[in-house]
Amino acid sequence: MELLGVEQPANMALRKILVIGSGPIVIGQAAEFDYAGVQACRALKEEGHTVVLVNSNPATIMTDPGVADAVYLEPLTVPSLEAIIARERPDALLPTLGGQTGLNLAVELFEGGVLERYQVELLGTPVDTITLAEDRARFKEAMIAIGEPVPDSVIVTEVDAGVSFAQKVGYPLVVRPAFTLGGTGGGVVYNESELRETLSAGLAASIIHQALVETSLLGWKEVEYEVLRDKADNCIIVCNMENIDPVGVHTGDSIVVAPSQTLSDEEFQMLRTSSINVIRALKVQGGCNIQFALHPHRSEYRIIEVNPRVSRSSALASKATGYPIAKISTKIALGYTLDQILNPVTGVTTAAYEPTLDYVVVKFPRFPFDKFPRADVRLGTQMKSTGEAMGIGRTLQAALMKAVRGLDLGRETLGDNPVAQWSDDALEGVLVQPTHERFFAVAEALRRGKDVAALAELSSIDPFWLWEIAELVALEERLKTGQATPADVQQACQCGYSRRGIAQLQGLPENRSLDSLAPAAFRMVDTAAAEFPARSPYYYLSYGEADEMRVPPREAVVVVGSGPIRIGQGIEFDYSCVHAAWALDAAGFAPVVVNNNPETVSTDFDVSDVLIFEPPGADEVQAAYEATGARGVMLSFGGQTAINLADQLADRGVRIIGSDRRSLAMAEDRGKFDAALTRLGVARPEGYAALSFRKAREIARELGFPVLVRPSFVLGGRGMEVIYNEGQLASYAESAPPIRPEAPLLVDKYLRGLEVEVDAVFDGHDILIPGIFEHIERAGIHSGDSISVYPTQTIDQAMEQRILTVTRAIAEELEIRGLINIQFVIHEGTLYIIEANPRASRTVPIISKATGINLVAAATRVALGEKLKDLPYGTGLAPKAPFVVVKVPVFSFAKMRGVETILGPEMKSTGEVLGIDATFGGALRKGFIGAGIRLPAEGARVLVSISDEEKLDAVPTMRRYAALGFTLIATPGTRRVLEEAGIPSEAVNKIQAGSPHVLDLLIGRQVDLVINNASGRREISDNYKIRRAAVEAGVACLTSLDTAQALVGALEATAGPPCPLQEYDMPGFAVQAPG
Amino acid sequence: MPATLFLADGTRFDGEALGQPALAIGEAVFYTGMTGYEEALTDPSYAGQILNFTYPMIGNYGISGRAAQHSRACVAGAVIKRIARKPSHWALTQDLPSWLEDQAVPTIIGVDTRALTVALREHGTILGALALGEEALATAEQRLADAVRTRTTLGLVASVAQASAHTRHGEGNGPHVVLLDCGVKRAILRDLTALGARVTVLRYDASAEQILAERPDALFISPGPGDPTDLPETIATLQGLLECLPIFGVCLGHQLLALACGARTYKLPYGHRGGNQPVQDLQRKMVFITAHNHGYAVDGATLPAELEATMINLNDNTNEGFRHRRLPVAAVQFHPEASPGPYDARALFREWLATLKVAA
Repeated sequence: MELLGVEQPANMALRKILVIGSGPIVIGQAAEFDYAGVQACRALKEEGHTVVLVNSNPATIMTDPGVADAVYLEPLTVPSLEAIIARERPDALLPTLGGQTGLNLAVELFEGGVLERYQVELLGTPVDTITLAEDRARFKEAMIAIGEPVPDSVIVTEVDAGVSFAQKVGYPLVVRPAFTLGGTGGGVVYNESELRETLSAGLAASIIHQALVETSLLGWKEVEYEVLRDKADNCIIVCNMENIDPVGVHTGDSIVVAPSQTLSDEEFQMLRTSSINVIRALKVQGGCNIQFALHPHRSEYRIIEVNPRVSRSSALASKATGYPIAKISTKIALGYTLDQILNPVTGVTTAAYEPTLDYVVVKFPRFPFDKFPRADVRLGTQMKSTGEAMGIGRTLQAALMKAVRGLDLGRETLGDNPVAQWSDDALEGVLVQPTHERFFAVAEALRRGKDVAALAELSSIDPFWLWEIAELVALEERLKTGQATPADVQQACQCGYSRRGIAQLQGLPENRSLDSLAPAAFRMVDTAAAEFPARSPYYYLSYGEADEMRVPPREAVVVVGSGPIRIGQGIEFDYSCVHAAWALDAAGFAPVVVNNNPETVSTDFDVSDVLIFEPPGADEVQAAYEATGARGVMLSFGGQTAINLADQLADRGVRIIGSDRRSLAMAEDRGKFDAALTRLGVARPEGYAALSFRKAREIARELGFPVLVRPSFVLGGRGMEVIYNEGQLASYAESAPPIRPEAPLLVDKYLRGLEVEVDAVFDGHDILIPGIFEHIERAGIHSGDSISVYPTQTIDQAMEQRILTVTRAIAEELEIRGLINIQFVIHEGTLYIIEANPRASRTVPIISKATGINLVAAATRVALGEKLKDLPYGTGLAPKAPFVVVKVPVFSFAKMRGVETILGPEMKSTGEVLGIDATFGGALRKGFIGAGIRLPAEGARVLVSISDEEKLDAVPTMRRYAALGFTLIATPGTRRVLEEAGIPSEAVNKIQAGSPHVLDLLIGRQVDLVINNASGRREISDNYKIRRAAVEAGVACLTSLDTAQALVGALEATAGPPCPLQEYDMPGFAVQAPG
Repeated sequence: MPATLFLADGTRFDGEALGQPALAIGEAVFYTGMTGYEEALTDPSYAGQILNFTYPMIGNYGISGRAAQHSRACVAGAVIKRIARKPSHWALTQDLPSWLEDQAVPTIIGVDTRALTVALREHGTILGALALGEEALATAEQRLADAVRTRTTLGLVASVAQASAHTRHGEGNGPHVVLLDCGVKRAILRDLTALGARVTVLRYDASAEQILAERPDALFISPGPGDPTDLPETIATLQGLLECLPIFGVCLGHQLLALACGARTYKLPYGHRGGNQPVQDLQRKMVFITAHNHGYAVDGATLPAELEATMINLNDNTNEGFRHRRLPVAAVQFHPEASPGPYDARALFREWLATLKVAA
């Protein structure tokens, strides 16, 4: 970044600076910290500093060897960080860019004396501010001292204190545990029993066993301000945001609009002034987020929360305005003042400047409830969404519809969802007690003629929003009548509807030429409402207005992004898109990125020559392609979201670069794919496509149970299950969505073998496989939820050669030009193929980091027409690394009340960590620690409950646990088997046998680890309760014997010292550039 | 009803008319604040101007009356992308479309306001004709051409300054301030009286004798519309008072005071109108984010030796404030009273009044 002709501050000699990342993606802490971390590392390097980065999350861009000078993919724990500090001896630590995880670790390192011992200076916001903002009692005191209003509240460390406060002030009350992520354990309570339950869970979730109980501000408007302050006390507001959902729903789960829409200037300025008072009092240096409740009927507010660091909201504000908060925060932490830093968007003004918008931004949360049918869908103070989509439009309506479409739920219109079938009572219920469907319920209620005043009364949603939604509903109804005028169609374009959506409403086929569509125009996001010319290539689409696209001088190629983060399609695809953009740039092309996820690196306008912040849909990709005169579009990096566009785009004459629509379709078309496999002599588990559940039953009978069923064209194994008998198939048919002719149900013989996975690049002649992953858990557990190991530990060379041959043959058959991901199962010595995906995958970043082979760059060059033999990435199966890499999945079960935690074919993890070590055991150990599993120490108590089918298999593993000095506590059946094997164990009652039973042990914290793999329907309720109790009690619960075996291996091993990625001897580093 | 905004360089922006057929001629300018439309529409400094709102959603919280800066709308016309017909706010008394009609403000909606802003930025401030309805559309271009020949800012101040000789505000026991009204905003009176000042408002054309006859502790020169050089008598009056009274000027007041001290003013390419202008206080080395509404500026290079620049704009380095090295005379270009805009510089009034107390 350019600085305005100033001397570097005196304390800014070139130094080594440690940056702590936020670790695995969990609900409440997602890709926003990758975005912030990358900006921070770049800003530090621009200044010439040496950057040491620690983050256990391998799917991130920030852990790329090019982003920091030393990248440690090591567990984010105090001992691990202390070892890294001892090894690297950094001069300073930047604590405020790694989310709550990074912040908490920095505080622990400070308070534990580590920073002092190694003379590491803490940059930016002082520790005292960090702890003050998190300590509810001190924070409240500080706010009262400067005359800023906070809700009436009490800080408690025990449940009874909360109850006696409630007796004084009444209900409803809000419980907020201190020092947690994403509001874990908190909630709104309406009576004493709810208070007792929530408060006890909240205290358990709090690191300092403390919670705030406060008077509820339910129904007040929720407004956030993103503020920056420098050491000279200059303060600016980057952005304010207003939630459509009033106070009561976590801001991460709320529909958020920037800037505020219903605040008068007086109110806007009142809260702005308050923000500045707060940030000055707290002496924050850098970014800070302040959440307010504003009374809906008078000029009165309360401060709800302050986060003295970059956050999900600051990422949103950065994308909403173009103002790079993380980058500027980093410069401030280095000692610069705002007036010394140039505004990178305009290039002429300074960073001491407040962005002003001439568009509206809407953020819509993406929930994982489609994957968790048993989850509690009610929204409250505990965050439940995994990701978000952002829409930018010239009006609120346009931004709203773009956000709705951008969720990638297949909802093109407001009525295109299950809510349309609900009863009036069901609608009303959701209006009062919000769930993820409330917004759609509002639209449906309006469609049914409910009036705005009544809806406002029920939902506390400001009538302004309701009127805006009502207009959209009326427009949809007009389009449905068949009497719609060209003006209506144009209005729909301008309101953010897609061609498909408009055609759907009109009951017309999508490809009908829509003459009356308004022409697409690209508009700039420039921080200045056009007052100054901007130089940032950051655009959104508007219809029927002037176009501002500056076509890049180089030939453009469009990279289609993957949209919001959800289970099954996470940050890994953003990693691939970013690398594709970088590879295009290196190859001399102008990368054009189309994506709508505000958290990610791919939507940083620094990454591409043209950033188009739009849902990655057919209309938007086509417009990007046409406006930039692009050579073509690349779909294979943006996950299934992008791949699904292939047909629509090809029909519209958009050129697809790389594997084309036929390859993409063939991989999913069961009949064609099977025919190809037969031709190639490749086995796959026998199976057929069923167009009805009756047909599915017939197929299952013929194959013999167990069978694996899954709908085609889905992500992350949605709806996938292992079915053991007809009864289970019948109940599956009841709960599964109906089978559509274009997406039949796939029924396969289930083979319980060793699963392996490869990512490869094929150029039409040569294939490149950097490495093969082997899964710890046997087939039947989704690959995303399995622990996987590179290099393989149990496969012989002949089998590896077979995998190479088969991969190449399939790639050739599918006419792949670029990436292919294949999952195999090895069953009784035979290699079967489970599925092939003609795209990037979850493992691409991991294998790239583990081998030093930039797979995405290779795929991008190949897609552009280059040959692997002319590129510096090698061909064939690369040599194995002389170290071991283990990927361990991370779950967010604590945030998802009611969710079944047992692993199966449907993916449940939200993120992952990597363990790297010289030995398999050491890598496993680091992986488990990194995943947040507290390794049981000697004398620990392990609760064991094994399903009948696997009881005998479990014996050797249990013997190893016993040998480590652990006390095994077993339910009766398991205990019998252990006794027969001569393994000592303590008995515990099953639940129905009465107290003291297994749950009592968990609730009483008398267990350190749970191994429970019973999934049979008969036992499901008891075992489900045990597993949930483990989650609530914060005890690790392993649901597969294979995982249990891996863990004991990790416990037996010792891990080596931390080592940066750059110092490992990687296969890829041996590959020489050609010529 | 069709409506078009014609600019004097031949470009046009089509939209839809709000309210009755009308034709308005004025300087087309843009306001970049995202809130504060009621304050802006009633700000006397916009007199004679067609105001383009860069923020696309205007009217969301309606009209409250309490935000008004003058007894009526002062703009010559308004340009809006999308106007809220169903506003919501506890303080609202009327929706914006009906208020604009009541106030007879010719308004065009559905305009590509961003394209208009880019045009104004690139061309610089330009005269425009806002035509609502077929009849006005037919004559607008001719009327615009006539206006370009005869264009003047003369009379704008007179059109918004109070008619009566004087009015009194505030019953505090603070200093007695005479406020010279060139088009004062209510927020200035609100802030000064809230700080305890007693304020006597005199018209901009009051003589030095009339001002001194009020026996004030200090003189305050208000903001207002147009070119400061249109008011030579006021400048002469100020020259005569420099040695007699502590004087503080805001916006047009800042420009008038600079002229009275011998500096020069000039027209900015497209002015500053919004609530996000960064102003650096050169003494305190602090940045204030401030509210602006001006098309003319004081030329910092022409400040006489007796004036010291105290503040500059970080966007374009224009002069934002000065003080007299010898006399208790100071001024700022921006609006400490905000309304609309941020309150960062609100303390300036308190600090100024405090100096008066010390002097007394």
